[in-house]
Amino acid sequence: MAARRRLKRVAASQSGFLSFKSPSDPTSSVGSRRKRVNKNKKKNWNKYSDVNDVDEFLEDVRHQERTTGGLLSEKADDSLFFLDLGQPEKPQPLETHPPHHNHILAYQQPNAKKLRRIAEKAERLAAKGVVPRKQKRLLNRRPIDRTVKKAVAEANNNPDRDYYDIWGQELSADPWYLQQTGKKLVKRPEKLNEKPSVLPAVEVIAPGGSYNPDFFSHQALLQEAHQVEVQKKKQEDKLERQLAINKEDKATEETNLREQVEGLVEEENDDEELAPSKEDDEAALAAIAVTQKKSEKQIKKEKAEKLKEQQRLTSRRQTERQQQLFQLRSIKASIRQQEEKTKSKQMQRRIKQEAQKAQPRRLGKLKFQAPDLDVQLSDELAGSLRQLKPEGSILKDRFKSFQKRNLIEPRERAKFKRKLKVKYVEKRAFREIT
Amino acid sequence: MGGLQKKKYERGSATNYITRNRARKKLMLSLPDFRRLCILKGIYPHEPKHKKKVNKGSTAPRTFYLLKDIRFLLHEPIVSKFREYKIFVRKLRRAYGKTEWSAVERLKENKPAYKLDHIVKERYPTFIDALRDIDDALCMGFLFSTFARTGKCHVQTIQLCRRLTVEWMNYVIASRALRKVFLSIKGIYYQAEVMGQLITWLVPYQFSHDHPTDVDYRVMATFTELYTTLLGFVNFRLYQSLNLVYPPKLDSKAESELKEDDEEDYAMNSESYTEKLSALSSSLARVVSSVEEEDAKLDEFPDEGEDMEKMEAREKEQKQLETQKKIFEGLKFFINREVPRESLAFVIRCFGGQVSWDKSVCIGSTYDVTDETITHQIVDRPNVDKQYMNRYYIQPQWVYDCVNAKIRLPVEDYFLGVNLPPHLSPFVEEKEGDYVPPEKLKIMALQRGEKLAQQDEEEEEEEEEEEDENEEEEDDEEEAEEKNLKKMEEQRSQGKSLQVKVTPGKVKVENPARLEQEEKAEEKRLAIMMMKKKEKYLYDKIMFGKKRKVREVNKLAAKRKAHDDAEKAKKKKARK
Repeated sequence: MAARRRLKRVAASQSGFLSFKSPSDPTSSVGSRRKRVNKNKKKNWNKYSDVNDVDEFLEDVRHQERTTGGLLSEKADDSLFFLDLGQPEKPQPLETHPPHHNHILAYQQPNAKKLRRIAEKAERLAAKGVVPRKQKRLLNRRPIDRTVKKAVAEANNNPDRDYYDIWGQELSADPWYLQQTGKKLVKRPEKLNEKPSVLPAVEVIAPGGSYNPDFFSHQALLQEAHQVEVQKKKQEDKLERQLAINKEDKATEETNLREQVEGLVEEENDDEELAPSKEDDEAALAAIAVTQKKSEKQIKKEKAEKLKEQQRLTSRRQTERQQQLFQLRSIKASIRQQEEKTKSKQMQRRIKQEAQKAQPRRLGKLKFQAPDLDVQLSDELAGSLRQLKPEGSILKDRFKSFQKRNLIEPRERAKFKRKLKVKYVEKRAFREIT
Repeated sequence: MGGLQKKKYERGSATNYITRNRARKKLMLSLPDFRRLCILKGIYPHEPKHKKKVNKGSTAPRTFYLLKDIRFLLHEPIVSKFREYKIFVRKLRRAYGKTEWSAVERLKENKPAYKLDHIVKERYPTFIDALRDIDDALCMGFLFSTFARTGKCHVQTIQLCRRLTVEWMNYVIASRALRKVFLSIKGIYYQAEVMGQLITWLVPYQFSHDHPTDVDYRVMATFTELYTTLLGFVNFRLYQSLNLVYPPKLDSKAESELKEDDEEDYAMNSESYTEKLSALSSSLARVVSSVEEEDAKLDEFPDEGEDMEKMEAREKEQKQLETQKKIFEGLKFFINREVPRESLAFVIRCFGGQVSWDKSVCIGSTYDVTDETITHQIVDRPNVDKQYMNRYYIQPQWVYDCVNAKIRLPVEDYFLGVNLPPHLSPFVEEKEGDYVPPEKLKIMALQRGEKLAQQDEEEEEEEEEEEDENEEEEDDEEEAEEKNLKKMEEQRSQGKSLQVKVTPGKVKVENPARLEQEEKAEEKRLAIMMMKKKEKYLYDKIMFGKKRKVREVNKLAAKRKAHDDAEKAKKKKARK
């Protein structure tokens, strides 16, 4: 603790450091009176004596001794300085030649003979067919395969991909091996090989759809399209009819007024209305009569009647059974009728089932919308192939065909749903609290 | 009581089905991935019979899948590829976000990809199964190859579709498999017979395109992915069956003919080969080059159950088919610029003709407009400036109508500027008593070999003959036409089909047949007389209904005649 304080004081007293008390502090800036210190005490030697200059001098001396081995002032002149007199002259050669251009000596090679011998040997060997080791290795190295990128080549829709005979090669590997290594493909269930619909893949358009159609077939096709439109119009009309209201039922100002004033205005009709309502009440009361207990006589009578009734019924049934023998023919006829009915119903049901097979099944949220008939009006028909304007899009046609054959579920373009954020508003009670 | 109580919805149909979201969670895939997987594997949603039971009491519309199907999906190896792809996307996005470009490059190079070969093999275990489903594949292939290469869907897919459809067309040309063509307002319908299967496909016109917005492109792209794989394998097998090289190469002889000086004008070097192939103007190279053999006569192998008649009928059919395949043999066509080139080139070459076009239109034209040996030039304009003497100038409908009629129709009806006869649909099978348009009757008559003398003069406008002659001939032809119509109506009212013809040479043979018929008719009349009142009433009703159809047909025919007469009168007035 004491050491720390000492350090602080020393640091503060050195010139480079700022005093710890901030200059904005009012107490320090105003002419700080120098405190009287006793420098004779050992404690105050370190604190209040300034030894920077001595320290510097000693540092300098030490530095000189360290670096140059002794004080510079005590060194001799020669050790510190030297006299620069320039380079001494070199001895000149006896003869001076001009520089050579294409000197024959420039072409000299020190080991020309050796090199020549080596080249001749290599030639002789090459003529025989023996290739030196280095060249052999170079030749053996495979050339860099600068082919199409691996990912592109392997892709399924690479336009240069190879096809092979997929149905020709049988059993490329041992089935046991395949099974043990887990590479055997699972067998496809038989049910999946059935087609989901009996409709053909490509349905040819009616003969009226030709680019230069025969008059009647074109009319027939137009008639079909017309029928579709008529049906649509019928549906719309039906809706309108269901929503229609009578003109008399519409509210007018008079009826509005009457409705608003109802019950507020006193009239003479009130007395007459009161009287009939009373009578109704009395009648209602009378209906809620209390049932009396039945007497014994009545009970016995009822029992006897029941018994008689039962006997009558049984005897009747017996006679009926006996008479049925004579009614055989009519019974047969009625049975035959029933059988025929059931048969016809069965036929109808079978026909309906077959028709159902050709219909698209309901496979999802949306119902199948039949595509519009592709038809050109009489004035749109082109006289020649050059002037023909194609109708309908084959892409759409194929898409609808897939839906019709139950290969995919009917789909619609995803709509852009705007999701509005919920606003959070604090309840008034909460607002008061927070 | 007590013990194990049966709870509702724990067994039976309620446990056989699973909703779409549950299935997706079981597979741990996102919804688009689940959809893609279902489309690729051929798993379709089912509508249960008793929706209330399956939906546990509610009738809300939901998508249901069979639980066994979803369990089967769990074993599919490409499910793991989907998950890897999801992780790849996540890593790539992170690398982009941190702008670590080296990482981005590395990730892109090792992008996970999957192949659909094993799925194709699993869904179509035999080649014939694959052929049965190839209709859809062809339609999608042709549709995608007409898309613009803007990058909305992978350009690679479009290129692959183009390559596969060109290969298919080349195969059909080489095997002469095309049977019917129909030009409709939607597109062109083709029907070919390949290995006994009738395959119908639809090709859009080259010049229309507005992409509808309510079609899910991802779904269509997934279908196309599967179908391109299937189509490729089918093509390979078909080429193998015909002994052709796959991937297809042009015949070396034909290739040398096609060598031109200015090949660079058409396409880049890498693409020029594919463009030449797609030009469909030259034949393909074979694996084992075969010398042109003469048509070998088929040996007759009489089956045990067959009699001579059936065999003869079959032979006749074969011969007809052979002649049908060669209707354009020996003819040289030239296609003008305004006509759709690819469709016509395909059809003409399918039936043995030679075809060429202007050099500026496309690569691969073999001869020029000025070639003297051209027999037919296909033009769609009202008039052509320079006309050569020894060639016919016809409208493109002639080619298609000939294909549908299976013979070479007379060219006069299809000259330039002539009002074309209607293009009838070959896909319509007319039953007995149905209305048959007179054009079709004419064609059937031509097929039978009868030549109605009126054909040359019927509906022409550009004629050098004088009006008087015209009028006379017109009167004549009107009479003849009326007679013809009356005869046909009589035949129809008697209930006989128009196909039955009584040729004079065979009268003796049919005598016993006719006697039999007469006997039968008598018996029928007797039976009718002996019917009870009630039954007779029913019978009359039925006959009335049948005759009503015939009466309607007659009415339509009369209407048509009136219409034609009105047209002729109008034309006469206009000319005067």
